[in-house]
Amino acid sequence: MTNFFKSPLFGISLILVIIAATLPWYVSGYILGLLTVAYYFGVFAMSWDLLFGFAGEVNFGPTFLIGTGAYTAGILNNHYGLPMYPCIALGAVAAVIAGFVLALPALRVRGPYFGLTTLVAVLILQSFIVVFADLTGGEIGLTIPDVLSIDAGVNYWIALGFMVVSAAILFGLSQSPVGLVLQASGQDPVQAGALGFNIVKHKLAAFIVSAFFSGLSGALLVFYFGTASVGTVVDIAVGVQVIVAAVLGGRRTVLGAALGAIFLIVAGEFLRPTGELATFIVSAVALVVILFFPGGFLGSVLSREARS
Amino acid sequence: MTSTTPRRTAWSLILLGATALGLSLSSAANAADPIKIGVIAEAQAIAGASIPQAAQMAADEINAKGGVDGRQIQIVAYDNHSSSADSVRAFQRAVNEDKVNAVITSYISEVVLALEPWASRLKTLMITPGAASNEITRAIHENYDKNKYTFHGYLTSAALAQSVCDAAKDLLVDGKKMKTAVIMSEDAAWTKPLDIGYQECLPKIGLKVLDHIRFSPDTTDFTPIFNKIESSKPDVIITGISHVGVQPTVQWKNQQVPIPMFGISSQATNSTFGKDTNNAADGVLYQGVSGPGVAVTPKSVPFAENFKKKFGNYPSYAGYTSYDEVYMIADAAKRAGSTDSDKLVAAMEKTDWEGTIGRVQFYGKEDKFTHGIKYGKGLITGLILQWQDGQQVAVWPKDVAKAQLKFPSFIKFSSAN
Amino acid sequence: MLALQILIDGFAISALYALGATGFTLIFGVSGVLNLSHGAIMVAAAVAAWAAASVFQLDSYSGALVGVAIAALLSLLTYFVVVQPIQRSNKIPNEEKEIFVLTATLLWGIMIQEAIAYFFTNNAKTVLPIIEGVVKIAGIRTPANTLFTAAVCCLVIALLWVLVNRTRTGKVVLAASMNPRGVTILGFELTNVYIVVWIIYGVLAGIAGVLLGMFLGVSSYSVGPLTASAFSIVVLGGLGSVSGSLIAAFVVGYLETFTAYMISPAYRSIPALLLLVIVMYIRPQGLLGRR
Repeated sequence: MTNFFKSPLFGISLILVIIAATLPWYVSGYILGLLTVAYYFGVFAMSWDLLFGFAGEVNFGPTFLIGTGAYTAGILNNHYGLPMYPCIALGAVAAVIAGFVLALPALRVRGPYFGLTTLVAVLILQSFIVVFADLTGGEIGLTIPDVLSIDAGVNYWIALGFMVVSAAILFGLSQSPVGLVLQASGQDPVQAGALGFNIVKHKLAAFIVSAFFSGLSGALLVFYFGTASVGTVVDIAVGVQVIVAAVLGGRRTVLGAALGAIFLIVAGEFLRPTGELATFIVSAVALVVILFFPGGFLGSVLSREARS
Repeated sequence: MTSTTPRRTAWSLILLGATALGLSLSSAANAADPIKIGVIAEAQAIAGASIPQAAQMAADEINAKGGVDGRQIQIVAYDNHSSSADSVRAFQRAVNEDKVNAVITSYISEVVLALEPWASRLKTLMITPGAASNEITRAIHENYDKNKYTFHGYLTSAALAQSVCDAAKDLLVDGKKMKTAVIMSEDAAWTKPLDIGYQECLPKIGLKVLDHIRFSPDTTDFTPIFNKIESSKPDVIITGISHVGVQPTVQWKNQQVPIPMFGISSQATNSTFGKDTNNAADGVLYQGVSGPGVAVTPKSVPFAENFKKKFGNYPSYAGYTSYDEVYMIADAAKRAGSTDSDKLVAAMEKTDWEGTIGRVQFYGKEDKFTHGIKYGKGLITGLILQWQDGQQVAVWPKDVAKAQLKFPSFIKFSSAN
Repeated sequence: MLALQILIDGFAISALYALGATGFTLIFGVSGVLNLSHGAIMVAAAVAAWAAASVFQLDSYSGALVGVAIAALLSLLTYFVVVQPIQRSNKIPNEEKEIFVLTATLLWGIMIQEAIAYFFTNNAKTVLPIIEGVVKIAGIRTPANTLFTAAVCCLVIALLWVLVNRTRTGKVVLAASMNPRGVTILGFELTNVYIVVWIIYGVLAGIAGVLLGMFLGVSSYSVGPLTASAFSIVVLGGLGSVSGSLIAAFVVGYLETFTAYMISPAYRSIPALLLLVIVMYIRPQGLLGRR
């Protein structure tokens, strides 16, 4: 932990955050809007990395947690007229409960079996949203009466602030003794257990933390867009984007996940003139990175640093 | 197939380059500034792909004639990948970055409903060429001052149901002595009011509704649905489908379901529908606002033919409306003498424009469907077309009909029961 | 009457699921790869068959062959471009290869899906049926092509069984799935075994895709659901177990059909998903899983 404050990574991060915070004074509202979404995705990806990179659990359904948080917040606001901030808080609470539910099978099965369970969880959530259309808006999506702000700059600062705080907590956690125990139990659960660590308790904690930030971010995103729909916060494609972002940025780095998310969203937007091919190109680039630079953006930098 | 012409790509690249450098484009309007219209649509869906293409055609025509008081019309197109979130982002970009004066958007009600609050928040005129949900106009009616920036440039679901019923009276009840029907609709925003409309007007014209089936738009196997419909032995299936189309039509033919399909089937309006279904579409009856070779107004046929010459296929239904909407926005801008949003909205409300689908006027603040287009004789009534031998042929109303009804051999008429 | 209808309709869809899932599980059994571009390869086969018939005016048999050939080609490409580089990479730790293969095949599937949407739009396409018309089975009107589909599926699965159990190539493949190192000691090039398996897989996925295109029609939207259904069937049956997959395919196929007929078409996929979750809790290795 103390090493981190002395490492160049800390300095670089600090400088980047300061630059990012001043952006609203000199870039357009459009770029701010783009980065706002990217920051929320960054939190999704970092939360996922905590589960995968440290607890060793391949969660194919990050959108189960994101969607639960987002829809809970949206429904409370739309149907029950609850004010925005309680809605966001309750969204995060609902996501934590969902994380707890998801953690139960994870503690029993491993590898592809757990991956599938999480995928199925998303499909079930999606089916329920469609079936209970009166409550959720179904395929149509839910219109949210309140929004965080209509000012691009304010929205941007909220998102940036949220991402920085989340990153600090998640990164801090990953470098703490708890994170090390998690990493050990992810790689060799038997040995970690033999050393006297309570793996179940640690993994459960990882799920709850991951769910909390996913849900909170999902709820905020809903109040930024002013709409919640399956295609935005639940669809498997969204989950795939989160996973790709985390792998692209570098597994086990937490901060890399945020970089990966920002890259994916910004690249997708800059490729908009290529029209329908934008998604194709982004996927191809991501594939090349995964095949040839499996450490991701930050992974390669960090390993070089560790060697030196 | 691609909707992005090289020229537009170049434009977007230049715009993007400018943005990347952080240069801000001047927003002060002067006489030579173009009138910018953002077009947010589904480039990969056939219904959506026509929207930017038709809009560009209209803009080119207006510009060739000198523009609006010397101001050129400029179309800025965005692909929304059929997603609400992408649409919201595109809308924000269009207004905040590209400084468009008005937005034409999407044939999907879900997308338009997600954008409607943004049109209010960012105070920008928005009109849809193809969404149908009644919710769009209801929001405008209930909170006029806030939502007046949205216009519904296509028939509402209620009007669509009325149009289907009016035609069914002439073609099926009077023509084929039919007495019973089953409603088959996909579960989506636009079909809720459509189904309510069907259930109200079908009994009035003499078609008893035996059953009402709603299914998920993700459905791929329609066998159980057709089976259920057949078991109640109706004379006709009244459809409300848009997200699906090819699959139910092909399975209807493969399983030789002996009951004709009649109603809204958006995909059937595409000229490629025959090919996509290997001509299983033959016999399908669908409601449209225009069609190839149908002279609804003197403008309809020339538009469709020019469109085909330019893009290789006939426009989808949303192509006709999108083309008209560019003209209506240009007309409103001319009458308002300004592109200020509030003035543009006020001028738009007074629209009386003969386009490709009929005469367009909008319902007022006090009407139930505020800012929806008026339905009725002399305005817009819609058409019924049928797929016959791989071609779309108008069969209703009489004054534009080109042929009699014609069904594949597996259709059995049981007018006796 | 309705029972017979469910029996017939459910059989066709189950047989299709079985065919799709067999190749998927074979690949896993032999090379430990879960290929998430599965749905994209199936859709590519169907769209290629459609394009060959509608755009290039071939007859329906040649169209179907083109579809299967495209699937086999894509399958080989998947192996050489995506899977092999990861398996051979020394930068990726062994215990993480699984997640890398999953992510990479998923991306590859998205690329295929986007390419299809770009060239052929995302509208649904249907392949011209090989046999037209309907036959009556005890009063149930059934499209002849549905029976044809079911027959082809059963035949292909039977052929596969013969191939694996009765031919030399098949025995090597089987041996490789049990002990890859042992096969190399016996002097077989493992890469060659993999190539054979990927071709078999591609042909199976291609036939399943083309038949699905005739039976129900496909669009680029079908990619995700097809992959997910193959994945769930394979896990339900037990990873790597071909017979488990066959049983699971029929369980899922009939459960879906039964739900669609007796409850509502809108709830079609839900009971199968719930069953899957229950099986995961009670018997995580699946119905016939090893370990």
